[in-house]
Order: sequence, then structure tokens, then C-alpha cells
Amino acid sequence: MHISKDLIAASATPLLLAILKEQDSYGYEIIKKVKKLSNNEMVWTEGMLYPVLHRLEDQQLIESYLKISDKGRKRKYYHIKKAGLEELNKQIKQWNIVHAIINDTLNNKQK
Amino acid sequence: MFELESSIRSWTDLLREKGNCTESDLLELEDHLRDEIEDLMSAGLTEEESFLISVKRMGNVNAISNEYSKINSANLWKYLMMDSKIYSKNHHQIILVILFSLIAGTLFKLPEFLGFSFDELFFIKNFSLFILPFVSIFFILKQKIKYKISFIILGIFLISAIIINIYPSYSPYHTVILTGIHLPIFLWLITGIAYTGSKWNENKERMNFIRFTGESFIYGVLITCGLGVLSVFIMFIFSAIGVDLESFVSNYLIIYGMCGVVMITMYLVEAKKSIVENFAPILAKIFSPLFLITMIIFLIIMIFSGKSPFIDRNFLIGFDLMLVLILGLVLYVISARNLHERKNIFDYLNLALIITALIIDIVALTAILDRLQNFGVTPNKVAALGENIVLLVNLVILVWQYVRFLSNKIDFKVLEKYQTSYLTIYAIWLGVVAFVFPLIFRFN
Repeated sequence: MHISKDLIAASATPLLLAILKEQDSYGYEIIKKVKKLSNNEMVWTEGMLYPVLHRLEDQQLIESYLKISDKGRKRKYYHIKKAGLEELNKQIKQWNIVHAIINDTLNNKQK
Repeated sequence: MFELESSIRSWTDLLREKGNCTESDLLELEDHLRDEIEDLMSAGLTEEESFLISVKRMGNVNAISNEYSKINSANLWKYLMMDSKIYSKNHHQIILVILFSLIAGTLFKLPEFLGFSFDELFFIKNFSLFILPFVSIFFILKQKIKYKISFIILGIFLISAIIINIYPSYSPYHTVILTGIHLPIFLWLITGIAYTGSKWNENKERMNFIRFTGESFIYGVLITCGLGVLSVFIMFIFSAIGVDLESFVSNYLIIYGMCGVVMITMYLVEAKKSIVENFAPILAKIFSPLFLITMIIFLIIMIFSGKSPFIDRNFLIGFDLMLVLILGLVLYVISARNLHERKNIFDYLNLALIITALIIDIVALTAILDRLQNFGVTPNKVAALGENIVLLVNLVILVWQYVRFLSNKIDFKVLEKYQTSYLTIYAIWLGVVAFVFPLIFRFN
């Protein structure tokens, strides 16, 4: 089952922040990680990921730095900032609320 | 024969040509493409197959480029330029530039045309009033500023003009000359309100104005050199056929030319941002090390030879101008800096430049205090004292913020914010020297 575009877009920010909270990462790795985590059901495209990353950087939630990769290439890593962690907490709360509302509504129907 | 390296390079070049990605974006995308290719190759595909599939997965170049144009909004205007409406707007602005240059030049010559004769002092204190109001009007029209703010800006010009011309002036004319030096800079900051539109209080806009000031200075100097070459050339070729144009050049070409230079510079720096955008960081990086070396050598020689440059009082104001120039360079480097850039060697260079300026400022301050004690109070000394204190506070703030930034305690944004807020202090002090000093020192 493929996840709809709208839902992918809405979940992009919290998911990205959550991934970066674990450890610093770069674009390609993030896409692979999302694919793996979702068992291939959620596939992010480059055209979607990088603009979101750069927007978060503009909002000072994350920051980037260059590091030489093991293959000897310059690679742009992203690192979550304090403001990003705070934002992540906020967004998780929001998700939980939405999630709870949907569950409750479904459960009420079944009763 | 398929060449992987050259294929990747031409893919990147194609993106670069589109012009929406910064070099760092390109680096990121290229790295991504290479990762993708390597993964496919380790799954058993050939170089060519891997490249083709990876490129396909990355989406077509146009689509990526368009996505990036949305984030790099600083580049958005490049798209807007494609709009024919913008072109006609450009024409409109060029006509304004020419018109305003002519009016400003004519205003300069008007007293002479009408048979009045004014002494040099009149021009010394008034010259900025001939041209800066037009620059302001140009920006007011360009930015479509609200009536209220426009009236305030133009009102300040009008009131300044009335005040300084009502003031009498007596020998030895110190306060008039001080007004002549400080008023233009004060009015330039007022012009800054027009430049930033109604957002003059915003940190980002003020930073933009600082960058604009630096670039205008550089462009202005370049165009003035051009004008000088043209003047000499005109005089030379006409004298060869027996026509002496010296008085025409010095009476008309130079005056109209300088008005034109100011207006054209303003227009160019704003309209041709693309050239400037690539140019500004480079210029900043060339000149800040050069200035630093000069200042350090100057300091060393000053200390070892034991000669204070502040014995002669004429040097006092001169030194303040030099400090202002250094501070200007420091600010320009800051404004040309990309907010997201990580700290690098140029940040340390800038800090070193600020510290040398701070040392010179302290030396100057002690010299002035010394002179004030031994030779009594004069407007020049008090002005220099005030300037040095205002600069000192600014430099101390900068050093402190830079150290905090370099030790990862704050974002660069915070440093910028302190600096842009401080501009208000300058405006106040400049206004005090220009308008209040003549009153305090009885117009001497």
C-alpha cells in the first residue's frame, strides 16, 4: 500500500527531525532509511527531501556541515539543533492527538 | 564508450546552468547521485546502466531545478526577470535615474545660473542635500513606500536643510565643517529607511542596507574612475583640435557626472544583484586580509618608533574616518556572509581586524583625552571623542559576539542583530554632531 502524497508531506518534518535526532545524516541515507523503516511503503523523492531539509535549516531547526565521506567525497551532513528537538516534541504531541482522535472515532463506531 | 565521470559532470553542469542551485546544493545532489550509482553497481549493473537509472530516479533536471528555485528565494528574481513587465519597469527606473541626475546637477548649478554666489562653506554643508533626497525618492517610488513614511523621510531632509542653513557660522568654522562631514552620513542612514522600505526596523533589511552601502561604495569608486578617464580623454582630444574644454569639464561634466554616478550606482547595485551577489563575498575576502596586514604593520611601526599619529589634531578626525572605513569593511564582510555557513578562517580574520581596530581606537581615545586636558575643549575634539566612544562600544560588542559565535554559543544571526540595532546609535550621534554641536559651540 502506498501512502498518499498529502500524508507524506505532512509527516516529513517530524520524521526528518526524528531521524536526525538519532544521529547526523545526509540526504541519500535518509531516503534509504525511510524506505527501510516503512518496508518500502513510503518512498521519499529527492525533489521533496532536499527542499524540506533546506527549509528546516532556514528555520534554524537543523544545521549542515561538510564532512569527507569514507569514499573521499565531500558530503553534506545535517545535524539537529536544540530548537529542532523542541519542535520535534511539539510535533509528536500533535501527531499523538490526531492519532488518538482517529482511533477514538473508529472505536466509537464499532460500539 | 561510456565515461561515468564526464557524464556525472555534465549532469551537474546542466543543473548549474539552470541557476537555481547554489554550489553547496549541487555538491549535495551530486553526492546523492554518486551514492545511487554505487549502490546500483554493487547490485551488478554496469556503469552506464547505473548512471541512467540514477539520473531517472533523481527526476528530470528541470523539475529539480524548479524545486530548488522555491527554496533559494534570493534567486527568485531571476525568474521574475523573465516576466516582460519587469523589463518595462526597468526602463521606467532608468528614465528616473537620468531625470534625477539632471535635476540634481541643475540644482547644484542653479545658484550660479541665477547670479547668486555662495561661498564654499555653503556647498560643504549642503552638498549631500542636493543628491540624497533624489536617491530617497527613487527608492520610495521603487519600493512603493506608504505615504506616511515617505513624508517622514522627505520631512527629515527638508528640516535638515532648513536647520543647517538658518544656523550662522563664525570663524574658525569648525562646527560648519563638522556638520559638513556628519550630515551626509546621517542623511545616508535616513536614505536607508527608504531603501529598506517600511521594514527599516528589521534585522535582515538593515543588513541588506549595509551590504548595499558597501557595494555602492565600490561601484561608485569604479564609475568615478571611469568618469575621470572620460574627462581627461575629452579634454585631450578637443585640445588637439584647438578647443579648450577645461572649464566645461570642471563646471558641468564633473558636477552632472557626479550626480549621475550616484544615481547610476544606486540603480546598478540594486538592479544587477546577480553580478554583485557573486562579487561581494570575493571582494570581502580580498580586502579584509589586506587591511588586516596594513593595520598590524602600522601598529607595530607606531609602537616601535614611539610616534603617536595623534599629536597633530588634524589627524584626529582623519583617524576616525579610517576606523569607520575598517568598521565598514568588517560590516561588509558580515553582510556578505552566508548565514548558514559554518565558521571558517574568514571569521577569525574578521575578528582579528576588529581587535586591531579596537586597539587603534583605544590609542586614539587616550590621545584625545590627553589633548582635551591639556589644550581645552574644542568642537573637533569633542566630536572625535564621541565618535571614538561610539565606535569603541560597537567594537567591544562585536568582539564579544564574535567570541561567543566562534565558541558555538550563539548563532551568527544574533551577532547580526546586535550590529544592525547599533546602527540607530550611529544615526543619533551623527544627528547630534550635525545639528546640536553648532548650538553648543555657538556656531564657531
